[in-house]
Amino acid sequence: MSHRLSEGLRYTLLVIIAVILLTPIYWLVMSSLRPADHIFRFSGNFSIETLIPFAFTLDNYSQALQSNVGRALFNSLFVSLTTVICGVFVNSLAGFAFAVFDFRFKKLLFVLILLSFMMPFESIVIPLYTLMRTIGWTDTYAALIMPEVAGGLIIFLFYQFFRGIPREIYEAARMDGANWWQIYYKMTMPLSGPTIATASLMIFIHQWDAFFWPLVATSSERLAVIQVAIARNMTMEQANWGAFFASASLAVLVAMVPFFWLQRHYVKIVITNADR
Amino acid sequence: MTISRRNLIKSSALGSLALAMPNIVRAQLTTLKVVWMGWPDNQVLPLMAEFEKRNPTIKLALERMPFQQIFQALEIRLNARNGDPDIFIVDSPLTASYASRGHLMELDSIIDKKRFAPSGIAAASFDGKIYSAPFGSSMQVLYYNKDMFKAAGVTPPSADPASRWTWEQLVEAGKKMSKPAENIWGFTFEQQERPYQLLPMGQSLGGTALSPDGFKASSYIDGPAFVEGFTFMQKMYTESKISPPGQFDTALTPELFGAGKCAMMVAGTFVFDTLKTKFPNLDFGVAPHPYFAKGKPVTPTGAWHFGVNARTQQKAAASQFVTDMLSDDMNVLWYKLRPYVPTLNAVWEKEASSFTSDLWKIAKYDVQNTAVPRPATPGFREYEDIVRVALRDIQSGANAQQILTAAAQKIDREIAKYKG
Amino acid sequence: MFRHPWAPYAFIAPAFIGLFVFRFIPIGLSGFGSFFSENLRGDMVFVGLKNYAELMDDPSFWNTMRVTLIFNLIINPFQICCALALAMLVRRPSKFIDVFRLGFIMPMTVSIALTSIIWSILLDPTLGPVNGLLRWGGFQSQPFFRSEHQALETLILVATWKGAGYWMIFLLSGLLAIPKEIDDSALIDGATGIRKFISITLPLMKRPLAFVLVADTAANFLLFAPVYIITNGGPNGATQLLMFEAYQAAFAYINHGRSMAISTIILVVVLLIAMFELRLFIPAEEEQS
Repeated sequence: MSHRLSEGLRYTLLVIIAVILLTPIYWLVMSSLRPADHIFRFSGNFSIETLIPFAFTLDNYSQALQSNVGRALFNSLFVSLTTVICGVFVNSLAGFAFAVFDFRFKKLLFVLILLSFMMPFESIVIPLYTLMRTIGWTDTYAALIMPEVAGGLIIFLFYQFFRGIPREIYEAARMDGANWWQIYYKMTMPLSGPTIATASLMIFIHQWDAFFWPLVATSSERLAVIQVAIARNMTMEQANWGAFFASASLAVLVAMVPFFWLQRHYVKIVITNADR
Repeated sequence: MTISRRNLIKSSALGSLALAMPNIVRAQLTTLKVVWMGWPDNQVLPLMAEFEKRNPTIKLALERMPFQQIFQALEIRLNARNGDPDIFIVDSPLTASYASRGHLMELDSIIDKKRFAPSGIAAASFDGKIYSAPFGSSMQVLYYNKDMFKAAGVTPPSADPASRWTWEQLVEAGKKMSKPAENIWGFTFEQQERPYQLLPMGQSLGGTALSPDGFKASSYIDGPAFVEGFTFMQKMYTESKISPPGQFDTALTPELFGAGKCAMMVAGTFVFDTLKTKFPNLDFGVAPHPYFAKGKPVTPTGAWHFGVNARTQQKAAASQFVTDMLSDDMNVLWYKLRPYVPTLNAVWEKEASSFTSDLWKIAKYDVQNTAVPRPATPGFREYEDIVRVALRDIQSGANAQQILTAAAQKIDREIAKYKG
Repeated sequence: MFRHPWAPYAFIAPAFIGLFVFRFIPIGLSGFGSFFSENLRGDMVFVGLKNYAELMDDPSFWNTMRVTLIFNLIINPFQICCALALAMLVRRPSKFIDVFRLGFIMPMTVSIALTSIIWSILLDPTLGPVNGLLRWGGFQSQPFFRSEHQALETLILVATWKGAGYWMIFLLSGLLAIPKEIDDSALIDGATGIRKFISITLPLMKRPLAFVLVADTAANFLLFAPVYIITNGGPNGATQLLMFEAYQAAFAYINHGRSMAISTIILVVVLLIAMFELRLFIPAEEEQS
């Protein structure tokens, strides 16, 4: 197959996939810009208006911002970023240990790591809540952050990456007299740009999406996270679809920021490393 | 071996935590923790503010939860069994469920039965005692699109309860206005799968949804009345095709009606205001809830009550909350903020001027004459969940008798545990 | 592998304290709780294996097992193939490829609950634009989530919509880490390309693939939100997944013992499959080195 043809095919596929993956998000944002009685008017029967709202309003956004959405966005950002910083540190430490050392109970502990992310959350939520009550953490940022810092999946992620670093590098460093903390901090971590970026994204998204746990563990308005604020627009007899879509769009748009930021640095780091 | 769960968890938690964070310092005022439904700010905050104004020593820590999650989140909180929250929203049919599990405080001493409609008190009671505060009620009416009726040349239903339409009449009218290929429909229920909405189909034919003692569903929900009623409902989707199938999101069905895609809708009195504000160009009318020609008119009812946690540490303040919320003027305020059908008799009298519209005349008549609350049983969550799934399956064409018999057996099995 | 008297333990300590307090204790209590039954007053009564025995005897539980296993048997390889295909497509740097890479991971910014709500509307038989488009194109509108023959497949597609970009990230970084000299060609290049792919690229991707496989398996076995929000296990049990069954047992049937028993079963099944998958990808000798 000629190069031109295969490139053309490649780009066609890319465009088709991009359309499938992005249209729902586009639809979400477009719906948030429609006046209340237009939101579903054009969705059932296909027309140009289904894709492009002719009647355009920012009402939904002003409604959403008047409610708790601003505060909720702040809370979610604070919780997510704090969990990322703590989580990257704590989990990479553990991943490092498993990748580099041999120690007693290693196999057992490794299985425990796997176990920790295979447990259905809905089944540990009750004991976890009671635990929070017992140590007095209900209705605090601590309840939102601390349980999510250590994560088996992230440990596993770092473990897989660190395993790929050749043994000789560590041996050389040991011979130079470095202690293990220095090796971890000055040598291994700086090499781990992409993995840190990936781990950060995973942790961030996990916390950004958090809904049921914050609902159960915190009760004050001042601690509400964004997903709860969005859901609050859906009341039984009176769903405010406009405000719902507006706050959801805000959540999605804010969540995109770390991606854009990371994307620029991410690929650079990966390419540089790959060209090693 | 019996272990109290709280002690078990406490001992293991404390045993493994060498460092425990200090407890949150309690506020100086009495604080009541209230879990309320996530209704809009402008409907809830004024009510709570009014209470705080009347009771300067009581502060309300208000938490509003989204409808979809409120039951689950409450279960988790209540499961911890320590008086948090002090006050919480109770969907009236859940009164028995919460009360039988020891989550609600008895309210007989602070509620005067005579002030309320009997159906409201009935919905608030379990085992002869009142456990939840009847805060309001609900009623369903038939909304219809005047323009669509005119265009099809069909005479709309009358607003007089004495000449309400039969289901048969409704289906006939619906057929004339339904064009499924163009996505135009004749009729929809607001809640296509919920027992609240659909039990009247069988009750109108004389059926009883559950045994009077609340523990047996077999030969009740799967009796001939419900089989016939639900099969009739099924045919609206499968045969006459006047209803759009699969619309289980109750937030979407009013959108269908409002956008002019559906000629008729049976929905709560509440939807009236939503339609008026969201769809100002919609010309619609109201008529009474239909019934089966060979049966009697039956309408759904039941509502959002609230209850006091049996383990509350603030008994006096909580009782004050109940008394105040059920007082004449607070209840009128609530009605003004969120127009539910009142259970407090005084509200009908005090706000008589607002009850003159067709909507309220119908609602008042039906709530006093044809309303039947959902069955009272401690196993209501289970009952509702199982019947819901059954109704979904019946809507998509499954054999009603088979589905209902299987559901009844499942219900019997699940609610047996409340007998002990 | 190195040895040291205390360094490894110091390194794993912070993570393990966190996991122990916030995961293992609740998991333990939950597993422990599966041997108990709760009476109305909240006291727990020891019933041994009764909850498990009841599950074994329950035909609806076996239906749930069947649906869950079929679901996972299809979705796991499917999602990973999609993710790998996406990664291969965006791997080679070229014009605008950055835009596509970013675009493909955008579904990550939409929470699973929001994804469920949006897709539920998009695929709605009456109000959904997808059916609107189908009708406009002269096709029949599809019931999607409302038909017991289409619901599970639709669920797989929606879950893949959200997950493909997510897993693509790991596979892409794995691909990009392959040294340039070893692999220099594009995805679609004829028979040599495919052979190169199978005998060179795939073996070098063992670690990322292992990671994605294990993590994806766990995520899919634990899938809950779309079933809870859109299908409720239906129609007619077609999407009754184990996680939803556990949830129903706890919150609809207020039977915590049964719920914990189901959760423990999920845990054991996922763990076994995960260990099997790891063995498959990373043979024992490599682990010990």
